Amino acid sequence: MASSTPSHPVPPSLSLPPSQFARLQPHAYLLAHLSPPAASNQPSLRANGRAASQFRVTSANAGSLTHTNGSAVVRIGDTAAVCGVRAEILHTDDIASWSVSQASSEQNTDKKPEEGDTDSQDKEDRAHIQDLNLLVPNLSLSTGCAPGFTPGAAPSALAQSLSHQLLSLLHSTRLVQADDLRIWYQPPNLEAEALGEQMDVDSEGSGNPAREIKAFWVLYIDVMIISLAGNPFDAAWASVLAALRDTKLPKAWWDADNETILCSDDIADAQKLSLRGLPIASSFCSFEADAAAGWRAVVIPDAEEQKAQEQKQKKQGMQQRWILADPDGYEEGLSQERACVVVDKENDGKGNTVIVKMEKHGGWGLDADDMRQLVDVSARRWDEMKRILDQC
Amino acid sequence: MSKEAQLSIAERDFILEALREDVRLDGRQPDQFRPMDITFGEEYGHVKLQLGKTSLIVRISAEVTKPREERPFDGLFNINMELSSMGSPAWENGRSNDLEASATNTLDRVIRHSNALDTESLCIIKGVSCWSIRADVHVIDYDGNLTDAACIAIMTGLQHFRRPDAVVKDGRVIVYGVEERVPVALNITHKPLSITFNTFNDSKHVIVDATLKEEQASEGDLVIGINSAGELCYMSKIEGSPINPMVIVNKTSVAWDKVKELNLIIDKVLRTDLAKRAKVGMADESRAENDRLVATE
Amino acid sequence: MVGPTTSLSQLNRADGSASYKCPATGYNILGAVNAPVELPGRRDALKPEEATVEVFVKPGTTTAGVGERYVEGILRSVLGKVVLGREKGFPRRGVVLTLAIVGGENIERGDSYLTILPALLHAGLLAMMSASVPLSMTFAATLLCVTKSGDIVRDPSPTAAKAAVSLHVFAISSKSHLLLNESEGRFDFDTWELARQHALSICQGASDSSDGDVSMSEGKDGSLNGFIREAVEDQIYSDYAYKLDSI
Repeated sequence: MASSTPSHPVPPSLSLPPSQFARLQPHAYLLAHLSPPAASNQPSLRANGRAASQFRVTSANAGSLTHTNGSAVVRIGDTAAVCGVRAEILHTDDIASWSVSQASSEQNTDKKPEEGDTDSQDKEDRAHIQDLNLLVPNLSLSTGCAPGFTPGAAPSALAQSLSHQLLSLLHSTRLVQADDLRIWYQPPNLEAEALGEQMDVDSEGSGNPAREIKAFWVLYIDVMIISLAGNPFDAAWASVLAALRDTKLPKAWWDADNETILCSDDIADAQKLSLRGLPIASSFCSFEADAAAGWRAVVIPDAEEQKAQEQKQKKQGMQQRWILADPDGYEEGLSQERACVVVDKENDGKGNTVIVKMEKHGGWGLDADDMRQLVDVSARRWDEMKRILDQC
Repeated sequence: MSKEAQLSIAERDFILEALREDVRLDGRQPDQFRPMDITFGEEYGHVKLQLGKTSLIVRISAEVTKPREERPFDGLFNINMELSSMGSPAWENGRSNDLEASATNTLDRVIRHSNALDTESLCIIKGVSCWSIRADVHVIDYDGNLTDAACIAIMTGLQHFRRPDAVVKDGRVIVYGVEERVPVALNITHKPLSITFNTFNDSKHVIVDATLKEEQASEGDLVIGINSAGELCYMSKIEGSPINPMVIVNKTSVAWDKVKELNLIIDKVLRTDLAKRAKVGMADESRAENDRLVATE
Repeated sequence: MVGPTTSLSQLNRADGSASYKCPATGYNILGAVNAPVELPGRRDALKPEEATVEVFVKPGTTTAGVGERYVEGILRSVLGKVVLGREKGFPRRGVVLTLAIVGGENIERGDSYLTILPALLHAGLLAMMSASVPLSMTFAATLLCVTKSGDIVRDPSPTAAKAAVSLHVFAISSKSHLLLNESEGRFDFDTWELARQHALSICQGASDSSDGDVSMSEGKDGSLNGFIREAVEDQIYSDYAYKLDSI
């Protein structure tokens, strides 16, 4: 200090460098970026240089880990998630509820899945994957992924809640087909000329002994957020998706002589999972120009009044609210209202946009019109993410 | 750490002085319980117990699981009690405290370890499947004597609960819903309850069913677990000031009387509730079973 | 259709409490609020200028897991926004809400938590009011499911909810703001918008509803928000009965 001051005499100034201003007055800093003075002709940009509905640069890389059945690393800006899928065999003998059937639903569980009868197949998928817990996602926020994550701490509420979101999205989208996870056994019969155990044996004669499920694959889907700079859910879900697309299950069969399951170590025999669709998650946050408005107002206006008011102000060039796509950690700290939309497109992107999950909470700023826009933005994001995931 | 509001010196002196004259704050006799009210929910095994201002809800549930390797013939039975800040602002959510640990321990010993619920009767197929019975205690209002209240509510719940009927057919277990087959009562071998005594003034004054204030003024406690037949299954005098062994002997017979009295109340409310259910037409055959149970008692 | 029932301030120890029972879904929730309280264990989480809302959900017959943490997060964000934490006495303090699921089916691991969310929200809100926590507005929440045939069903039973194509939970404030939306399944935006309109008419009364089959037995104006209002009014009336009698 002492040596530097004489050589560079800095005139005392009342202005602060931007980095300090950003820390001292984060809200004012972001607001200043989003609403530049009309005279300056600058576009409204976020403090990180992105437009409001612009996502961060995303990259994905599949098959990064060696000792997993499938893995992927996804980076969205400075948020990075690693996902490893490990498949373990679960014998039906070890499932307590396997030999138990509810009298009322007995017919359902004993029925063989028939191709074409999608309705019963759907139910069966749900029954097996959900009831037997064949998908086990677990998300951990690793030590040091962001300041405040100390070693040895129990899983935080955030990590637990993200784990639940991953699991419930896996279940509600029915992404993984239960049939990929079943290990069948076809008791031998004399007519069987084709010796290879084909997975689709529906066309077989009726005289055959019924084939039975001997075991299931359980997929342990471990996600590790190695760097957290906001929006962990999008990154985590993208990494799960990429890892599942990468997952190959070895060919496994029941060996009747040894009474055990054998796996082939030939990679050529391994099968990829056939996933249903490609649901892509996009998260948003709403940034309010006057964060304390809700607190100060003695009477909060009705939804319609508020909308009219906002529109009036917008006409005057005073925007009150910005919806920021893919918020970084700085922006997340400045907003309470969050939204998340997960969309899929039918027929590999050519069909209609289907929403599989939509949520918003933490405020009353976003209304139905905003949600419609978010769905459109998410649909565009789907195209982008599909390209990235197809390339990885 | 949040704490219960401490008793003021004046309050403590008042309670002790009153006890010297054999008077309790609420005018009860030393061996008298507060008024007890037991109500049942719609489901079997859903019990709400109100003991003075102490109030709790017990829910019994059953599911089919795999028995433990070393005990293939036994089903599972667990008692789960987590104190949340609903019961008292002094209890923090998600953190256990001393009271939770000691009360859970006592309940485990009085009910579980005394084999009040016959776990062997929960076995379905040896080593493959069995019933797992779970008792969840939700303490919603705490004003002293948590252990006895929980014990009464769990025992009532176990006697009230009906598990779905399960039948083994070709190596498969078929569980019948409540609508399809009359659900089965649990096999209760005996009915132990815990009775907690609090001592005051060098164990000259010993009372049952202390309120929170009395507990705070007390110098020690004595817990006796005993069943209606007078068989002692648990006894603890862990801490507090020493007491005369004769007090323990005397109070054991008081505890026996109390347990008989409480079990009669439990039987009565169970009978009333089942009669009500039978009238509704939900349980006609199970009543006979319960009557038999009551008769053997 | 049998409407929900509620009763306020049943408990002695907690600062405020409410029970909420929804016969259609079978859930019975008991909520207790302690506020304002010190939260010494959460010193790092305390905000210097406003109250910290803590939510704890206690399942009826299992131990709490990841699903509870998730729904706690949602409740915290919705209620946290509604609580006027800057009122005198609340900054640097905690508002602790405990919700016990005392009736109804369990939510199994990985099952949707949406079916129980409206009941939890209502119990939480009513308990807050029972504890006199200052709030900027009240709200009402509803669960809607869209069946295979495209019908919108209100408060489906857990089995009906499992068979539904999509499930939607909306919380609408007393001033018609959309406070919370959680939707899952497969649906398009138009279906969502229809469901939202439906929810709006359920919560705000049938005045702006286009279809006539919305008939409710709750509050005077037939809306859920009216029901919440009435529950609180009844409580205040009985609390101040002694004053009214003396006039």
